[in-house]
Amino acid sequence: MPDTFLWYVTRAAGAVSLVLLSGVVILGLLSTMRVQGEGWPRFLTTGLHRNVALIAVVFLFLHIVTAVVDPFTHLGWGAALVPFSSYYRTFWLGLGVIAFDLLLAIIVTSLVRNFIGHRTWRAIHWLAYGSWPVAVIHGLGTGTDVWSFWFMLLTATCAGIVLIVAGYRFMAGPFDPLHTARAVFRGSVEKRELP
Amino acid sequence: MSTMRLLAGRTLSAGPEGFAEHAARLGHLPHAGRDLTEVVVRSGLTGRGGAGFPAGLKWRAAAARHAQVLVVNGAEGEPHSKKDRLLMSTRPHLVLDGALLAARAVRVKEIVLYIGEHHTIARAAMERALAERPAADRKHFRIAAAPARYVSGDSSAAVHLVTTGIALPTNAPAAPAMVQNVETLAHVALIARSGEDTGTVLVTMAGGVARPGVLEVETSSTIADAIALAGGATEPPRAVLMGGYFGAWVEIGQAQGLTLDPAALRARGLSLGCGVVGVLPGSHCPVCETAGIMRYLAGESSAQCGPCFFGLRALAEASGRIATQGSNSEDLQRLHRWAAEVRGRGACKHPDGAVMFLQSALSTFGQEFASHPAHRARRSA
Repeated sequence: MPDTFLWYVTRAAGAVSLVLLSGVVILGLLSTMRVQGEGWPRFLTTGLHRNVALIAVVFLFLHIVTAVVDPFTHLGWGAALVPFSSYYRTFWLGLGVIAFDLLLAIIVTSLVRNFIGHRTWRAIHWLAYGSWPVAVIHGLGTGTDVWSFWFMLLTATCAGIVLIVAGYRFMAGPFDPLHTARAVFRGSVEKRELP
Repeated sequence: MSTMRLLAGRTLSAGPEGFAEHAARLGHLPHAGRDLTEVVVRSGLTGRGGAGFPAGLKWRAAAARHAQVLVVNGAEGEPHSKKDRLLMSTRPHLVLDGALLAARAVRVKEIVLYIGEHHTIARAAMERALAERPAADRKHFRIAAAPARYVSGDSSAAVHLVTTGIALPTNAPAAPAMVQNVETLAHVALIARSGEDTGTVLVTMAGGVARPGVLEVETSSTIADAIALAGGATEPPRAVLMGGYFGAWVEIGQAQGLTLDPAALRARGLSLGCGVVGVLPGSHCPVCETAGIMRYLAGESSAQCGPCFFGLRALAEASGRIATQGSNSEDLQRLHRWAAEVRGRGACKHPDGAVMFLQSALSTFGQEFASHPAHRARRSA
């Protein structure tokens, strides 16, 4: 096995992770927007969001493990978890570590969602909006293929779609059909001062 | 069984019993501490707010969880119930005694009197009673207004109001607090003195009786006895709604012999609930009454969850269509199917309570739901 094999796997898994994680973010946005249609029930969006996330995690692990065990970089396992602790491309690699740590928090809280409650889970899930852009910048900063046309196109496409969907999501306001009714009810059961 | 009764003493129309009169009649607050919990367990006293949970077991659990606050639940959001405000308006010291005893037993320093925001007479009586108490007792109490919504009487909503300032009902345990209905605590005041169960319940007689209102009856008395005590039925009844809107309809033939005993009712799959006994006169339409109550309950959803907010609304609309436009098999099937789908899908007990009420209507009035003529809804039971 040529010693560059691990390097190729790292690069390929990184590019696949970029596509999959962008897909996860887009599906997550679409599920909060309650997108549905003929032949596309709402649970399909959340189901896909969850399953694509699972596959993305697999490729991300491949990306990280192959980078760590590559004898050329000598990263060590600590560098995979502690930001800016690697001597090799400290800053750009550190960004990837930050993105991964944020993602770990999202994964762990999603696995124990029933124990921590919906509100906490949702608050931590917002970290995705920090994790994804940091990961993209990590790819642009340290990616071996960053100057190749296909990688540029891939990154631009992923980022473009995420930005368009996210922009729509945040401009359109709450998609929760109970938003108004809930606010009205909460107003009716708030503590009042006694006369 | 004890000979003490909650509403013994001066006539109820004479206003709240003062502290001196209360103490002369029943003696001062007994010196009881944690040991009272076991006395209450042995008495078999169950909660009178609706859920009917054994009071003594609740106290044990609250002590083990180091509850910080006792919420005295006098929200009484149940539309026909009047017994909690009557008790607070006429025997406020009984409630204060019970609250102090419970707080000592579970070692809670803070007591919140949670009283319906529109129940001004009850609140004034409780405030006056507090002012008559020694400062050492008074310092533990404060009063909070329960928002006038159906769900704010739920124990979790009461705790949420006290801790977070918003009376939102949830299934998930709120902060470590103990919530006990005012009637339950009034019974405690008597149990601490006699050592045994009072053997009575407060019921609110509603609907087709000559004298609707609150009665204190022995747990051995039947619904027929209670109807007689309320001046008798205004016309031959069709059914009884036992336990309020989260209760169940019972055919009059079966209802009359039922005793108003929490344990006996539970053995029959029924519940005393909040003590409302709603008598449905024979000339009233059970389908229309059920549709009206479902519309009310749908409107009282806290809108936390879709299945409750949209599901109860759809159920109310379907039963309303049967009530106004007449029976049709599609809506009847929808009622059965949707009721099963809504159950257990909420963040609080509201959808389950509403659906169980509807299901009891569907099984008790199956005939009427299947052959209902088209006419407009009439007044509520």
